[in-house]
Amino acid sequence: MSAAPTATGGDGPVPPPRASAPADAPTIDGTAAVSSPDQGVAGVAWPAGVPVAAPAQPVVAEVEPGRVRWDPAERRARASQSFWTAVVGVPAIFSVLRLGVEAGGELQTTLLLVANVGPVNLLAGFLTTAARLLSTGLVAVFALGAVLAVSADRLPPGTRRRPLFARWADITPAWVVLASFLLALLTWPLLYLPLLLPAFAAAFQLRPGRLHERLVPRLLLIGAVLAGYGWLMLPTLRDAVQQGDEWLVLALLVVPPLLALFIAGPLPGLVIRPLASVTEVAVLAMLVWAALPVISTPVLPLTVTTVGVENGPTEDVRGHVVTTDDVNMVILQERGGVRYVPVDLVRAQVLCPSEEELPRHRLRVHDFHVEDSLLEGLGRRVRPVHRIDAACRAPG
Amino acid sequence: MNASSAQSRLRSVATTLAVALTLTLAAAAGCDSRQEPDLPSVQEKLRETHIYGQTKLRIGVATNEPLMGELRNGQHVGFDVEIGRYVAASLGYEGDQRVEFVSVSTEDRIPALQGGTVDLVVSSFSMTEDRKKLVSFAGPYLVTTQEVMVPTRLKDKIRTIEDLRDPAYKVCTSGGSTTEAELEKHQVRTFVVKDVGDCVDGIRKGRYDAVSSDESILAGFLASFPKEFEIVDMPFGTSELLGVGVPIGDPALRDLVAFFLQKSYEQGRDGEASPWQTAYNRTLGPWLRAEKRQPQPLEVPKLVDFDDKAPAK
Repeated sequence: MSAAPTATGGDGPVPPPRASAPADAPTIDGTAAVSSPDQGVAGVAWPAGVPVAAPAQPVVAEVEPGRVRWDPAERRARASQSFWTAVVGVPAIFSVLRLGVEAGGELQTTLLLVANVGPVNLLAGFLTTAARLLSTGLVAVFALGAVLAVSADRLPPGTRRRPLFARWADITPAWVVLASFLLALLTWPLLYLPLLLPAFAAAFQLRPGRLHERLVPRLLLIGAVLAGYGWLMLPTLRDAVQQGDEWLVLALLVVPPLLALFIAGPLPGLVIRPLASVTEVAVLAMLVWAALPVISTPVLPLTVTTVGVENGPTEDVRGHVVTTDDVNMVILQERGGVRYVPVDLVRAQVLCPSEEELPRHRLRVHDFHVEDSLLEGLGRRVRPVHRIDAACRAPG
Repeated sequence: MNASSAQSRLRSVATTLAVALTLTLAAAAGCDSRQEPDLPSVQEKLRETHIYGQTKLRIGVATNEPLMGELRNGQHVGFDVEIGRYVAASLGYEGDQRVEFVSVSTEDRIPALQGGTVDLVVSSFSMTEDRKKLVSFAGPYLVTTQEVMVPTRLKDKIRTIEDLRDPAYKVCTSGGSTTEAELEKHQVRTFVVKDVGDCVDGIRKGRYDAVSSDESILAGFLASFPKEFEIVDMPFGTSELLGVGVPIGDPALRDLVAFFLQKSYEQGRDGEASPWQTAYNRTLGPWLRAEKRQPQPLEVPKLVDFDDKAPAK
């Protein structure tokens, strides 16, 4: 993370600066590296005796014979290129994969969907369902990265390679980290939002000492903030206690704010290495695990279409409308298979919720359901009435 | 120096614990979010019922109880019919094409449910302990009392239960009804016919002198013949809880009906226009002496539904 000065906090020894790109080198986002002005102000380079904690990989590249030598600017340009390729490419690939899953693995159905679902719709649909996953991944990486970075600075310098997440956090501008947290704030279910507090404190290494330099006002401030949080959550906590088996909910609402007070700061050298490797694997596994439902989330909305001749018996077709033209309405049925329904036979059509949207808890925070994100909760305030059409209950 | 090193060690232990706990909580949250909901949902219950997959829902209703269940110009109308329509629509059977109203007389209500000729009975069906051994009930959706209706010519003569015991007056009621049992308890000799409508016909033709039944049923006949009859308030002392009859072998359907009645009850309680209130205003409302409200249904299961996340206010 480029917010290296904040990473050290107010107390404790200042770690030696890491090797960074020259001041004029562009970073991923095109701005100059934040840590370089420090050097510029100092006016001089650090003496050779000051150990450098960053890996000496570029040096290896230079020394090794027979390999192309990249200068840092070029490396950054390439990194930027890869970054944007990933930003555009990953959603595109995911979207196409989703179409295949949505089509039920059938080639012809996939082709039908490809022919009829616009790329913009596809991308927008993907982002709608993947924003939560994306923000979770980013928040996890930045929070862990900052914790590992501040801990790695305490290690005997130059002995080991800095953990991967720490290096990622180092090169990421602060605004990207902040944006990830904002995205998480808007898209995470309310129930998990308290976890953002320790994550935020960790990512920016915020200690209670930042609140006030003297102990008593600091404690008073912390007490006031926690009391406010308690007041906000008290009705929900009471409901959770009454419902009996909601222990996880209680823990998720009560514990994280307290953890946020202690989470900033370096870890003992003993745990850094295992923590770094375990969390790298865990975050990767989490992303893969969480990506599966994102891939299988439908691209098109679920509808029930009532089909039948005038005054005759009708049939409910449950599925996703792929396209409608003058002759047919093409419906991808929920259970599989494509139906071409003549437009004249369509009597009615309703939009239905899917069973994945059913809530798991019966708790609210001041009338916001704990499984809604802030965005969803606000949306429900704009359109408060939710009517489930009778046809949606019909078996598929 | 020592103190500061101890403090720093303490702090690093606290940080380690905090990081470990946060990671544990995050992992637990992640697992929780992928778990199947452990609360039963409406959809799940619906799959357990015997009606799941049926193209039509058959509801047993009365056809000769004005205001409650009546066949008028080939159309089923009345409070019970409206309640039946609401329950059917909630269960996924909306519109006349999906609902089949089956005419059941008072005494046929239990056999119809037992024999499977109807899926539900909404026909002034009082919830009693004896009947609960044979069928299940969801409700009550209406609390009514037992009353006596007399022709206008006798309104000054029949005023008390004592008067009913007078052998000079022929008291009529429908067979298999709670009224029949109640009158028997008060040693009133009754003429038992098939439906309350037969009693009313009989009185108009001079065969009987009084008819006893639920206030809501009698109000219907009073609405049909306002000049010919009068309801006499008698202290029978029992309230009738009208419920929706469900086959005893289908607890899931009973739970669902109770759940949807509760939903309507909650809407009405919050001051919204509830389906119950609409049905009441369109049928019974103008004809009852005292205004009624939807009673709170009993034994309502806790189910989750798609609209659970909608704001409560």
